[in-house]
Amino acid sequence: MKRYLVLFLMLAGFAFAAGKVTVWTHFGGPELEWLKAQAASFERATGTKVEIVEVPFGDIKQKFILGAPQGEAADLVVTVPHDWVGEMAASGALEPVGKFATKDYLSDLMPVALEAFSYQGKLFGLPMNAESVALIYNKKLVKSPPKTWDEFLALAQKYTTGDTFGFLYDLGNPYFNYGWFKAYGAYVFGKRADGGLNPSDLGLGGEAGYKAGQFIKDLRYKYGLIPEGVDYGVADGAFKDGVLAMILNGPWALGDYKKAGLDIGIAPLPAPPGGKAWGPFVGVQGIVLNAYSKNKVAAINFAKLLVRPDAQISFNRAGGRIPVSQGALSQLKDDPVVKGFSTTIAMGDPMPNIPEMGKVWGPWGNALSLIIQKPDSDVKKIIDQMVEEIQKGIQGE
Amino acid sequence: MYKHPPGLRGFLVAIGLLGAAILAAFSIGLFAYWALERLATSASNPEGVPNYTLLITSALALIPILILLARRYAYLTDWYYLLPAMLFLLAFTVYPIVLTVYLAFTNYSGLHNGKPDRASETRVVRLAGRTLVLDGPAETSLRCRNPSCSEELVELVGEGRRVYDRIERAEENRLVLARAPDFEPRYVYRVNTFSYVGLKNFVFIFANASRALIPVFLWNVVFAFASVLSTALLGLILGIVLNNRRLPLRNTYRTLLVISWALPGVITIQMWVALLNKQFGAINRLLGLLGVYPIPWLLDPLWAKVSVLLVNLWLGFPYMMTATLGALSTIPDELYEAARVDGASSWQSFRRITLPLLRAPFIPILLSSFAYNFNNFNIIYLLTGGGPSSEGRLSTAQATDILISWAYKTAFRAEGQSAYGLGAAISLVIFAITVGISLVNFKFTGALKEERK
Amino acid sequence: MRRVVFGALVAAIYVVVRQVVFGLGSSNAWLVLAYESGDAGLALTLLAGVLFLGLIAARFGSSWRDVLAVVAGLEAGTYLLAIGQALGQAVRPRPAFGSVFIPGGWRYVLVGYLAIALLLLVYSAVYIGVKNRLTRRKQSVWTFFGYALIHLFLVSLVMLVFYPVIQVVAASFDPTNNLFSFRRVNSPFLLVRAKVLPDFSRISLENYQRLVEGVVIYGYQWALLAAAALALLLALWSGYKLRRLGPVEPWATLQGRALSVFALLAFLLVVLVSPSQFGGRSTESKFLLWVRNTLLLSSATGFLAVALTATAGYAFARFRFPGRYPLLLTFIFVQMFPGFLALIAIYYLLSALDLLNTFTGLLLAYSGGIISFGSWVYKGYIESLGHSLEEAAYIDGASRWQAFLRIILPLSAPIFVFIFLLQFVGTYSEFILANLVLTGVEKWTVGIGLYSFTTGQFSTKWGVFAAASVLGSLPILMVFYGFQQYFVSGYTAGAVKE
Repeated sequence: MKRYLVLFLMLAGFAFAAGKVTVWTHFGGPELEWLKAQAASFERATGTKVEIVEVPFGDIKQKFILGAPQGEAADLVVTVPHDWVGEMAASGALEPVGKFATKDYLSDLMPVALEAFSYQGKLFGLPMNAESVALIYNKKLVKSPPKTWDEFLALAQKYTTGDTFGFLYDLGNPYFNYGWFKAYGAYVFGKRADGGLNPSDLGLGGEAGYKAGQFIKDLRYKYGLIPEGVDYGVADGAFKDGVLAMILNGPWALGDYKKAGLDIGIAPLPAPPGGKAWGPFVGVQGIVLNAYSKNKVAAINFAKLLVRPDAQISFNRAGGRIPVSQGALSQLKDDPVVKGFSTTIAMGDPMPNIPEMGKVWGPWGNALSLIIQKPDSDVKKIIDQMVEEIQKGIQGE
Repeated sequence: MYKHPPGLRGFLVAIGLLGAAILAAFSIGLFAYWALERLATSASNPEGVPNYTLLITSALALIPILILLARRYAYLTDWYYLLPAMLFLLAFTVYPIVLTVYLAFTNYSGLHNGKPDRASETRVVRLAGRTLVLDGPAETSLRCRNPSCSEELVELVGEGRRVYDRIERAEENRLVLARAPDFEPRYVYRVNTFSYVGLKNFVFIFANASRALIPVFLWNVVFAFASVLSTALLGLILGIVLNNRRLPLRNTYRTLLVISWALPGVITIQMWVALLNKQFGAINRLLGLLGVYPIPWLLDPLWAKVSVLLVNLWLGFPYMMTATLGALSTIPDELYEAARVDGASSWQSFRRITLPLLRAPFIPILLSSFAYNFNNFNIIYLLTGGGPSSEGRLSTAQATDILISWAYKTAFRAEGQSAYGLGAAISLVIFAITVGISLVNFKFTGALKEERK
Repeated sequence: MRRVVFGALVAAIYVVVRQVVFGLGSSNAWLVLAYESGDAGLALTLLAGVLFLGLIAARFGSSWRDVLAVVAGLEAGTYLLAIGQALGQAVRPRPAFGSVFIPGGWRYVLVGYLAIALLLLVYSAVYIGVKNRLTRRKQSVWTFFGYALIHLFLVSLVMLVFYPVIQVVAASFDPTNNLFSFRRVNSPFLLVRAKVLPDFSRISLENYQRLVEGVVIYGYQWALLAAAALALLLALWSGYKLRRLGPVEPWATLQGRALSVFALLAFLLVVLVSPSQFGGRSTESKFLLWVRNTLLLSSATGFLAVALTATAGYAFARFRFPGRYPLLLTFIFVQMFPGFLALIAIYYLLSALDLLNTFTGLLLAYSGGIISFGSWVYKGYIESLGHSLEEAAYIDGASRWQAFLRIILPLSAPIFVFIFLLQFVGTYSEFILANLVLTGVEKWTVGIGLYSFTTGQFSTKWGVFAAASVLGSLPILMVFYGFQQYFVSGYTAGAVKE
């Protein structure tokens, strides 16, 4: 009995023994196929097997942090957004990859991508693509994108009827709203002298925060653009159905819009009244390496294959994401989508990647949904309370 | 037959013998596991046998030990019946509770998880006894919290190995370790330790009581109470209506009406989210046809509570209806016959027979339903996610959050930032409250009294 | 009469005291209402106060419980009113976007219902009149009309209860994957135009096709499926016969055999399906695999639950050993810990055993959930069986274990079915623990899959979700309706003893 058991267990063990790289990914559809094709060519070239495991986006961070030290997580994750990097690095899961990166590779990257994946002066992933929200308009309804706030408002209000909408987006979501905060002079974390972010300098409150909050509230209650009940799904659905003229959304949605047969244009939003230029949060997605991986060299080689400029171009063809390699970008410069989003990415700021950012999202989103909940909400009080909760959270009280 | 040694002594002896048996089986199992591991491990299979083999070997060892024990202590066989359930309960319920209690007194969280901070990676130039020479100033590149890094825990990595070590002190770019590593480390990392914080998590809960615990607890009680009341009322009415044997199609109605109980909640609750959208949901469109202005079902803190209760009524009334029918079927027909002979009207026999006889089976149903709804995580989490936002609350405890969803969000969702320690403390508070409610429950029904024979 | 007056008295004193203590315009809506209704309200309140003074002189007496009841009633009333008022204020008088708004539409509905009731009354009168004439009996028109009204109520209720279900089914035929349709609907029916009822004119099976894309089912599996379906039909048919004829012998055996054959074939099918048969490239094309995983997991947990609780329940019911009562208490109270909040503990435990990302691990994690409830229910069931059968067996020289095996177990089938079903249904759509333990699409269960469709980073696949919901709930509906009587009897048995 026991001999058979041993034999059986040994047979089971052999499967794991061969050189293998496991990859977790949240890609789906054509992007997943692209990844599988890359894995196949890597296997042919090196003989190392690549196993691709689909994990939902929202689960990756927790599962990776919990599983990495236990040997239960993949060698690579393709991809994580850079704002997770601080937390994942501080909790021991991520390997600094600066030692694997070549000078050529680093100098080819957009500076914002490098900044995004650097935490405490170390590089924690190979950036792959960048994204930001931008004004996406339906060319059937909007001939040329509005340049000023007044033009924008007139256009948006013209289309806001019972059956069509002028401008919708997920109004309660801080990620989409950062552009307005920036326009009014607010920021999340100030910078330290050495270029790193300073978690004790929180810039979301004060006069700038009040103005941004008031403006977001006005979008619903004064300008009457975005009614209650509109969330991401509603705005996206209305745009796909062709009844929405303009939406604030990112490159991830373009595949669906293409499928729906829409002719779209991409432009930055105008500056809000009394504010400076609008500029969105820039998110950079990149490949990270498990610090506890037993196969780091093979894994990083596969990762390097995925971020080569030609791979980034084919990835852009598959899913429409915006590459961070300047070489790839210059080859794609005639693509209107890449051009449109490159413009807004250049206007924006990278999301903070320090772990303290985790203490910001919850109270910030909460404050925004409180502000837009009622026409008589007290913006100042809500923003003040938000700042207080964030500061307490960061101090660890 | 056999006799148990009486009293507390008997109990302790039995538990002691069982414990010894398990311990012995575990030791033998461990040995067998170790032997198997040695046999199976080879260059091609460095992992050896999976660790659960230990469970199998221990279980195999336990059987003969138990048989042997039963020869000497026959009365122990009574305990063998309980052993499987007890072992499972110990492993998958008691052990998690113990760990939760432990975590509740620590600051364990995503950032204090006892793992090395990779941002503190520092290259080791060379090793000299207990001293590591680093390629940068130790204190800043390891980002030590204590002055001169004393007592900080570090991880040393190199030659395919990783070990934890403690720093005695740091001088410039030199680290003096508590014990010398037996290999050449290439990198050193400072560990983000978690530590015992005493009652800090509980202090946080009670210091912020007005922003979380009190409103959440009050709503939790109201929610559970109103859910039980509303479902019981509708279920009772329907049960009584459908119990009428002269009503044609009553089985068809019953079969149709249990649909909301039969379908998985993860489906139906998410569908309700769509139906209850203020501008685009079908419910408000239906109400629009009736001349009612759109209701902010899930957007207004108060309306969201109403929505939760309504959806829970939809989900829960079939159970109450079924329970009523079951209880009514236990009332013998003869009682009604006798009442009719005595000239009672149907209303009178309903008042005097049906209702009083429903009381006895219904009270435990109501109480267990209360206990169930008190921790009814799914409906809150899937319908509103605890929202909408409510002023002056913690961002993990919003308008419709109940205790369990608050704890879950604190420990496992982005809003709470993986504050496992705090989440564990909240779980203990929930545990205490649930036990309290159940004690009242048992006192009410006297359920445990008769067991105490 | 005395009590009524006394109640009024207490109410009045309460009003005045509240008025004085809290002042006008406090957050208490009841007082606010009185205040806002102007002088009349104020006068009424004052009048009540005066009345009280007059009546107190007459020295009415009653128990303090009555006083408390009146005060509590008033207080509850004020809060209900306040809540009602706040609810009303939160509704802004503007019709929803793109909706059809009919001012005073509820009047039409009310009139419609009255008209139907009137029609039913006329129908009852005619029907009973003719019937009485023919059968020469005197049946009351009103009783018949009462039943008709009950039917009207029940039919309306069934429509309300089924409304969300219909919406799910409709959404599963909509390939746009949008939660809401924004296109104008041209339909002769008002309800469809108003998007209250789904527009069934454009049905597409695309969502269902996506769920089965790339699935290869081998010939023998089709054969197994067909045989299982046949067995099920046979069981249903004999069940129908049984219900009509009562417990008649050939049908009862047939039903039992058909059900066992069905269970066996279904089990074979579930075990023989392998992940390699699902070659589709999208996530949702693995859906049938998730159903298979779930069936495997849920039934295994069900069996484990029965196995663990059977002996424990028996011991608690029949044995008297020192420590029985404290152990019983421990069983009950330990289970009150909100187990799924101990996710981390379970994660580390399974990780230490190398059981993460395996069905066995999840099975073990689930098994802790029902032990105490199952033991408790089973203990109650055995106690209701009585001792006589076992004692007879003891006289024949049977041991305790033999008595348990030969006497108790065969009698316990219904309660085992109940415990099995409870665990089966409870784990079928569970997704939080499953999501933590299982990684990778091929390991997913229905619950994780369904949850993932609606919580993608920026993409929600509502159409696919709905189609998967329809298909995924079929097994559970079959189980539920097939074994409905066990649920009823199990809950009653459990509840009566509990």
